[in-house]
Amino acid sequence: MGDHRQLRPRPLSPHLQIYRLSITMVMSIVHRLTGLALYFGTLLLVGWLAAAALGEPAFAIAQAIMGHWVGQLVLLGYTWALFHHMLGGLRHFVWDFGAGYGPARYVLGWLTLAGSTILTALVWAFVWFGAAIPLSAGG
Amino acid sequence: MDFRTSYSRVTGLGSAKQGTRHFWRQRVTAVANVPLVLVFGFVILTNLGASRTEMLALFANPFVAALTILMLLSAIFHMWLGLQVIVEDYVQAEVVKLVLLVFNGFFAVSVGAVGLVAVLKLMTGG
Amino acid sequence: MLSAAATAGEKKTPMVQLTLPKNSQPREGTRWQKPSGAKNLKKIRIYRYDPDSDDNPRIDTYFIDPDGCGPMVLDALLHIKNTIDPTLTLRRSCREGICGSCAMNIDGLNTLACTKAIAEIKGPIKVYPLPHMPVVKDLVPDMSNFYAQHRSIEPWLKTVTPEPRAEWPQSRTDREKLDGLYECILCACCSTSCPSYWWNGERYLGPAVLLQAYRWLIDSRDEATGERLDDLEDPFRLYRCHAIMNCTNTCPKGLNPAKAIGEIKAMMVARQ
Repeated sequence: MGDHRQLRPRPLSPHLQIYRLSITMVMSIVHRLTGLALYFGTLLLVGWLAAAALGEPAFAIAQAIMGHWVGQLVLLGYTWALFHHMLGGLRHFVWDFGAGYGPARYVLGWLTLAGSTILTALVWAFVWFGAAIPLSAGG
Repeated sequence: MDFRTSYSRVTGLGSAKQGTRHFWRQRVTAVANVPLVLVFGFVILTNLGASRTEMLALFANPFVAALTILMLLSAIFHMWLGLQVIVEDYVQAEVVKLVLLVFNGFFAVSVGAVGLVAVLKLMTGG
Repeated sequence: MLSAAATAGEKKTPMVQLTLPKNSQPREGTRWQKPSGAKNLKKIRIYRYDPDSDDNPRIDTYFIDPDGCGPMVLDALLHIKNTIDPTLTLRRSCREGICGSCAMNIDGLNTLACTKAIAEIKGPIKVYPLPHMPVVKDLVPDMSNFYAQHRSIEPWLKTVTPEPRAEWPQSRTDREKLDGLYECILCACCSTSCPSYWWNGERYLGPAVLLQAYRWLIDSRDEATGERLDDLEDPFRLYRCHAIMNCTNTCPKGLNPAKAIGEIKAMMVARQ
């Protein structure tokens, strides 16, 4: 114990730097990131409601921002984050009920990714091109 | 130098005897969020480009107003719980952690309050 | 068991460090000579750390002839130790996947060197110690914290009822509940694959220890289930599990720690 070398802190072995990514790990990271994005994204939703409540001028500004291509891009990301986090949450439910721990865990990860992308595409197809579809018929 | 044994460090201050309630609430709000957010999103989608007058008419519908309020409450509670976990995961300095956890609560309550007041104002005709 | 504070986690940063501290960043190391006259060559890159020098860890490059050694990565490592570089340090014992000593990170995943085939790995074999652990030397991590955590869940049968003369009986169905749990060899592959354990390894018990905890929680003969749950009822000890699934993906024994943790959470909810 007298050797001064022992006072030298041991190095920490490499971790994130070397660990092989898997779909479950990546989807878990993305679940966290989308959750964080939605946390601050709530400001957009509440800001929009508040603008509408405040009066015509504030609402006009809010609509202009959201109509701008930057605003649209942010909303597109918001939609994807929302769907991804929602499907990721449903994946957690499957696990909470004791299922999906087998090979299905990989399938669930890919489904989260594919599902959120498809649902986002559908919603935004409706937003951009849906004016032509009558609501009563198109839902 | 710290001569504490590994076992002493591991047992630390003992079990907090809580955690399940947090877990449970996160799941309950998550369950609630799914239909609430989907229906709210649908309402918004089907009213895209509505003028302010049309918005007022929409929120005058008590179902829409109630739906929005429930959605806000559930979603904001959920994100409050969620950020708490993120802070606990990554922030190690006790003081910074405490400040962030308090800020998290303030943020959630403030955003919720603004949202609720906005919906109530819209509901009662701006 | 003093771990003399020579651990990497000693100095606390305000935030979890996603990168390696300065003293831990590996440098390019020695490139050892290729064996002469070999038809096949396999390149192996191994993490080295010498506690007796002031240098950072390094990555040494070795070349072996797979035809000249056994089929497993452990064979390759021992081949290097025996014929190229006797200073290479690693733990190993049974060489058949039952002792858990040779757990390390091979090709990006934690596994046992003795059951991982060289032929399974495309390209150079990268060998690191178990991730996010204090390194004693080369591929030998300091396991004190992990073992202390295992000790903390009191991994033995706890009873109040006076011991029966012969044995504690158990039905076949109850015995079957221990399948998939008792096989755990405590190699720590799962725990050290878990990012949550990386960031909070001092407070989160991690998948291996939680799987062991569950093994005693569902043992029909145990009479301390409630107390065991009490001890786990904690935001850090249990609830740092975020179902990342690295544990289940990596277990060299094919066990499912994530599922065991899920079952503990279900027990927690059930007793509310």
